Amino acid sequence: MLPTRSRTDTAVERFDWLSVTFLLGAVLLCYYLVPLLSLIVGQPLDVVVGRMGSPAVASAAATSLTASLASATIATTFGVPLAYWLARADGRVKTLVTALVVLPLVLPPIVSGMVLLTVVGPETLLGRVAAAGGVSLTRSIVGVVLAQTFVASPFVVVTAKAAFESVDRSLEYASRSLGKGRLTTFRRVTLPLAWPGILAGITLAFARSIGEFGATIMLAYYPRTMPVQIWVSFTTLGLKNAFPVAVILVGVAVATLVVLNALGTNPLE
Amino acid sequence: MLELSNLTRRYDGFAFGPVDLSVGDEVLSVLGPSGSGKTTFLSLIAGIVDPDAGTISLDGQSLVGRSLEERKTGIVFQHGALFPHMTARENVAYAATDRSRIDELADLLEVRDVLDRRPPTLSGGEKQRVALARTLAADPDALLLDEPLSSLDAPIRRRLRDELHRMFASLDIPVIYVTHDQRTATALGDRIAIIRDGGLEQVGPPEDVLKRPESRFVARFTGNENLFDATVTARDGESVTVRIEDLTLRSSADAPVGSSVTACVHPSRVRLDAEALRDGSGRDGPTREENVLAGTVDRWLNEGDEYRVSVDVDAASTSLSVAVPPHTFERLSVEQSSSVRVAVPADAVHLVP
Repeated sequence: MLPTRSRTDTAVERFDWLSVTFLLGAVLLCYYLVPLLSLIVGQPLDVVVGRMGSPAVASAAATSLTASLASATIATTFGVPLAYWLARADGRVKTLVTALVVLPLVLPPIVSGMVLLTVVGPETLLGRVAAAGGVSLTRSIVGVVLAQTFVASPFVVVTAKAAFESVDRSLEYASRSLGKGRLTTFRRVTLPLAWPGILAGITLAFARSIGEFGATIMLAYYPRTMPVQIWVSFTTLGLKNAFPVAVILVGVAVATLVVLNALGTNPLE
Repeated sequence: MLELSNLTRRYDGFAFGPVDLSVGDEVLSVLGPSGSGKTTFLSLIAGIVDPDAGTISLDGQSLVGRSLEERKTGIVFQHGALFPHMTARENVAYAATDRSRIDELADLLEVRDVLDRRPPTLSGGEKQRVALARTLAADPDALLLDEPLSSLDAPIRRRLRDELHRMFASLDIPVIYVTHDQRTATALGDRIAIIRDGGLEQVGPPEDVLKRPESRFVARFTGNENLFDATVTARDGESVTVRIEDLTLRSSADAPVGSSVTACVHPSRVRLDAEALRDGSGRDGPTREENVLAGTVDRWLNEGDEYRVSVDVDAASTSLSVAVPPHTFERLSVEQSSSVRVAVPADAVHLVP
């Protein structure tokens, strides 16, 4: 028995398992990296900068950024409390609510758009009431925000829920038994400890909003967001004209990732 | 004064209570195995869980229905539950009703030199000291401790236990100390409450509970490894005679003749007889004060601070566990299969109905 085992150990050493996993994973890494680099390298910098200056692209960038900030804010305002409730609740209701929150993540975005149209579309009750009040829920920045919020807010809820769950409940009990109320406990104990995770969720939601296309195009073709602008450039002027705008969007995505990584560094670890 | 009356809480597959108990300005050690309801007991008092029935009152005020923050029942958790994003000082300051007390408490618990460090860099003992300082800073009307020493190494545990003993004595509030360690419970408690399956088995001063367990469970849990089914055969004056198979023991406990009882003998109260070992001329059989039994050493175990020797008693198919101090063990040069005599004082034979 022993010699066999010893041979196996040696074989494992020679065939370093970690290297094998890395080599397999590297195939996927190349698949991510090569097209990105080829896109960026393939676009002359002056062309990209030039397109950034074009009114259509500038306006699309402004729409995307404004709407994404708004959706991330809405997602945070309503998503963080929901995440806290989910993290602290028990039982079947919690399971059901979690499933409901995840639903927009698994729904194809274009279907999400169609689902939303049945509620906020121009012919619906809500759509008509809003229109009477002078607010258009589709073909407006409101429509963009509605679409983005639907698709992106689950990221806040799911990530913040995990962050709250990682805060030991006995810390909250300890705080309260020291005479501090629920609000003080949340503000001074739970929130600071969960904050890096919550911030990661907000950043992810923001990134998802910036890239949102399927639901947005169903609700608001105008005003154009960056992804819609890329699609328009592609269908009207051809692929060649869509590439520089895509590079700009890649830049925004990478910047988001950088911020995410900076925030993800938990000083307590 | 903390008073619990008919306190009950049911879970799936576990029921706590009903428990009736009064705790004055004293230290009550709650001792029980894991899963016996010790933490539930504290959680009910602290307000972390609500009772299904019963009342809790502290200094005459009912606590049921009040939130955690209104109860003034300071709780110290097993691992301290210090806020990891605050320094030790900030942790204590968070709770302090009077900021000037921070340094005073830091001195009392000897944590002054670690006040500016964050909890993850503190040792287990330092964490518990800071946690206790934090809890006391809130000026609680009752102090609840959930096994705060259980995760510490033995030497630190012993030292901190000693300090806690002195500190608790200076507090004029009810202190409830939950533990599964009999030594800690005995060392710290003015009274011990033995808890089992959510109910109190016995409450009393450590001396009473250890020497006169009222049930087999309490006897076993407080270290009485020697439990025998026995029958009371005679009674005269201040002692009774019990029979375990062919073995007769004298006990200074009281029980009616003819009754079936459990005879409990704590290993620490049995003595290996040196005379018997040396020349085999030891006395046999019970006297009024002492039972001397012949037997053979079956096996022994070095437990560090004492040896645990298992002696097969000749007159019965049972063995007797004897705690032998190291110096005695070495002096007697105990070996396996050596013939020995053991002496069991009559007042060490406790009878449980």
